[in-house]
Amino acid sequence: MKQLIQLRINGQAYEEEAEPRMLLAFFLRETIGLTGTHVGCVVGECGACSILLDGRVVKSCLLFAVQANGKEITTVEGLAQDGELSPIQEAFVKHYALQCGYCTSGMLLAAHALLTRNPDSSEEEIRRGLAGNLCMCTGYTQIVDAVKAAAGEYKKV
Amino acid sequence: MTETQYIGKKIRSKEAPRHVSGGGQFVDDVSLPGMLHAVVLRSSYAHARMGHIETRAALEVPGVVAVLTSEEVKRTSRPFKPGRYSAGLQKPIPEYATAVDRVRYVGEPVAMVAARSRAVAEDALDLISVEYEPLPAVVDPWEAMEPAAPLLFDELDSNVAWKGALSYGDVDEAFQSADQIVREKLKIHRYSSTPLESLACLASFDDASSKLTLWCNGQNPEVLYDALGEALDVQDVRVILPDIGGGFGQKIHLIRKYVVLTGLMSVKTGRPVKWIEDRTEHMMAAGQSCGMEFDIEAAVKKDGTVLGLKIQEVDDVGGSVSTLTIHFTNKLNNLFSTYKVKNFRLEGRSVVTNKCPVVPNRGIGKPSMCFIWERMMDRVAQELGMSPVEVRSKNLVPTSEFPYTAPNGNVYDSGDYTQLLEKAVKKLEYEKLRKELKQKREKGKYLGVGLVIGLEPGGRNAARDMAIFPDVKELPGAGGVEGATIKLERNGSVTVFLGAPSCGQFHETTTAQVVAENLGLSPDNISVAPRFDSEVSPWGVASSNTGNNFHLYDIGAVHGASLKLREKILQLSAHLLESSPQKLTIDDGIISIQGSPDKTFTFNELGKIAYGNQSLIPEGLEAGLQTTYYYKFPHAQPFMVPDKEGRVRAQFTFSAAAHGAVVEIDTETGRVKVVRYIIVSDNGTIINPDVVDGQIYGSVAHGISVALGEGFVYDSDGQLLTVTLTDYSKPTACETPRVEIEHAPVPSPFSVLGQKAAGEGAAIPSPAAIASAVEDALQPFGIKIRELPLSPEVIWRLVHQGER
Ligand code: FES
Ligand code: FES
Repeated sequence: MKQLIQLRINGQAYEEEAEPRMLLAFFLRETIGLTGTHVGCVVGECGACSILLDGRVVKSCLLFAVQANGKEITTVEGLAQDGELSPIQEAFVKHYALQCGYCTSGMLLAAHALLTRNPDSSEEEIRRGLAGNLCMCTGYTQIVDAVKAAAGEYKKV
Repeated sequence: MTETQYIGKKIRSKEAPRHVSGGGQFVDDVSLPGMLHAVVLRSSYAHARMGHIETRAALEVPGVVAVLTSEEVKRTSRPFKPGRYSAGLQKPIPEYATAVDRVRYVGEPVAMVAARSRAVAEDALDLISVEYEPLPAVVDPWEAMEPAAPLLFDELDSNVAWKGALSYGDVDEAFQSADQIVREKLKIHRYSSTPLESLACLASFDDASSKLTLWCNGQNPEVLYDALGEALDVQDVRVILPDIGGGFGQKIHLIRKYVVLTGLMSVKTGRPVKWIEDRTEHMMAAGQSCGMEFDIEAAVKKDGTVLGLKIQEVDDVGGSVSTLTIHFTNKLNNLFSTYKVKNFRLEGRSVVTNKCPVVPNRGIGKPSMCFIWERMMDRVAQELGMSPVEVRSKNLVPTSEFPYTAPNGNVYDSGDYTQLLEKAVKKLEYEKLRKELKQKREKGKYLGVGLVIGLEPGGRNAARDMAIFPDVKELPGAGGVEGATIKLERNGSVTVFLGAPSCGQFHETTTAQVVAENLGLSPDNISVAPRFDSEVSPWGVASSNTGNNFHLYDIGAVHGASLKLREKILQLSAHLLESSPQKLTIDDGIISIQGSPDKTFTFNELGKIAYGNQSLIPEGLEAGLQTTYYYKFPHAQPFMVPDKEGRVRAQFTFSAAAHGAVVEIDTETGRVKVVRYIIVSDNGTIINPDVVDGQIYGSVAHGISVALGEGFVYDSDGQLLTVTLTDYSKPTACETPRVEIEHAPVPSPFSVLGQKAAGEGAAIPSPAAIASAVEDALQPFGIKIRELPLSPEVIWRLVHQGER
């Protein structure tokens, strides 16, 4: 039996039906059509599906869609404001902090949450903050550099 | 090169903005009306005979549309033709998209279910029952070679499916004149690059037109095309390769099985069918690198000169013959590495076992070939009491000898290996460092340094593999051909179509830089099609995101096509400006006569004329402003086709790098920490420095992690124990060290811009660098490093039990 859920995604209200067993990652991708959230393992190991749930990073493959009822979600599509890339997105572009782009959405959200929490993160803290997100392409160096570079913008707000 | 405006400069990436916005388009992001979702039933046995497959219950699940069993696959499709890696089989072994009658590894596909949702298809999967008659599994290649071992293929007399040798120079004479013979046994495990996006296919067959359209994330269009043609007999095929979430070799070969399966399913149901592999399936069945063992002898002089090498190799190729010799022949690419050694014999055996088939992987056989050379150089140094750097220096190809022809036919276009090593020595302060580390070890802190050197070949020669199959009459191709199409559009912008797909190497950005340079137009006004589409992409045998092909072939094609377009632009402009092409300049999309800047035409105006105003186009000039150029490497001779001695140009450009690693070992936990890692790299002319650095960072991270523990483990029944990324030990940002890169480019005299390969390269010397550093750190224990991986468990055993 499908269940009705109400939630906000990237600032917009949705009322949708979901099968109880539908994972949040697939709900976002297939029901809502936000394909920027990627799936790399479906078992919580890779972080490609990371999103913000009420401001905290979660792996959307580890939650059912119905668990997001009444919650506020941010996906990668919600990071830019008024058509402008957010500081963390801009830093990823500038520093070539991606290659294939498959881990990027999850990385961005994890990095955004980390810098929001602690804009003064040291390199080690950045690396630890991103440890839930695997990247098979980059060796992480340019990602860490981008996060460092974006930190200044988070200090301003 | 002369002064450049865009080449070698930092520019804003073309691809990154869409990826940071979630706007990349991967196969799984594509949906078609009426699309079904497919899942694959896989063998849970490593070795078994298959009887009847019962599907009735599965078909009754509401939402299930069709089941395709191996019986039906055999009936309705044809086996793949033996490709270039199984050309040497005495008897053909038919291989279909699924197992037929017998399964030979855990995870081998057996059937496919298509349903209206993935969840329903998965429910139905559990209801299919297969009659299995388990057979004894053989997992170890040495056991597989025993006469009494269970045979994997009835067509073969033993599990040694291929045996062969490569020999150059006079090896016997080298060993007779040696002062000393240095012997060693080495071993490398199975691993993978585990692209974050697993395999994915979406096939859509249109019955009315008999046309099959395939979206897929394969790296090599030729493999997909041939597979569909061979197995399905559909001739009208369109292959679209959109954004690909990493490839590294994993998406070249075995993906053809799923392309055929989804294709068959689409033909059967008349609906589009999507199949997305899950992570466990990927680990079990998408391919692994080859487990390899080497028995090595080096003939050396007292002064450290290496006269020759003799190697016996055993390759554990798993439960298929389709990639039988791939890890063997890929050693041709760097067979002599950076050394001027003349005499060499490599004897190989490819042994089938009940494990996942092998596929290419960031360098394929090359990391192991480099591992052999570098371990042996260290060994020679130890036995002769010389410095490891001194032994290497003594044997390097001298800088004055470039272009240098190696005994196996490779022509090293350019390089300065001595310089690379010297710069690395300096950067590390090697001699001082060695003393310091020795002192630390005496105080019980186990630090060590390793300094190695290796090649990064680029630009594949399609005839390479025939060096070991001299009797094969029909070449699978030779050299390389790759195209590019460039259009100046009506509005003055420029669009480029490449012949090859990208898997995340910024092909769009790099291409735009070259086109911008040649056309005198800002990269902002150049767009490069982000996907391969066989209907528009000008492709040839080199159109493949493999073999480090991009820099040589794609850039060659892009360069040629953009110069051709420039010529056309200038011809048309000269007519319009009543001047001659030689007198014109182009700057930022504006064409003017040198010296009289007031008479100009813009690209925008030219576009309107070329496609819309015949009255202004001169007689004899083709209308439109579009060019296609197919590049073939102009210096591919000699040895493009293997000669009788097995000499062949395996690849056409040769980058090189020295790698220095400093490690510290915690002997209580066995954990190896990389304290410092430096690379001095020659990648020829660099077009985009951020991209090249990114490729180096990524490939070295993988090489280090391979050396330090990531890898596949099977139990003795052939069950894979590492089916998740965690079990497999994929490193996070915490375990991955920061690497220092210094560039020391020596441009190629042969390629259009002096460019050489820059891709998988750093994965080639890095396992050797780590092994060397770990051995150095463990000197007080007298431990020799002979095997990878060096996981904490292995190190701990070495230290505490003196064994593995
Ligand atoms: S897909 Fe969710 S963590 Fe990998
Ligand atoms: S950029 Fe490919 S996985 Fe991170």
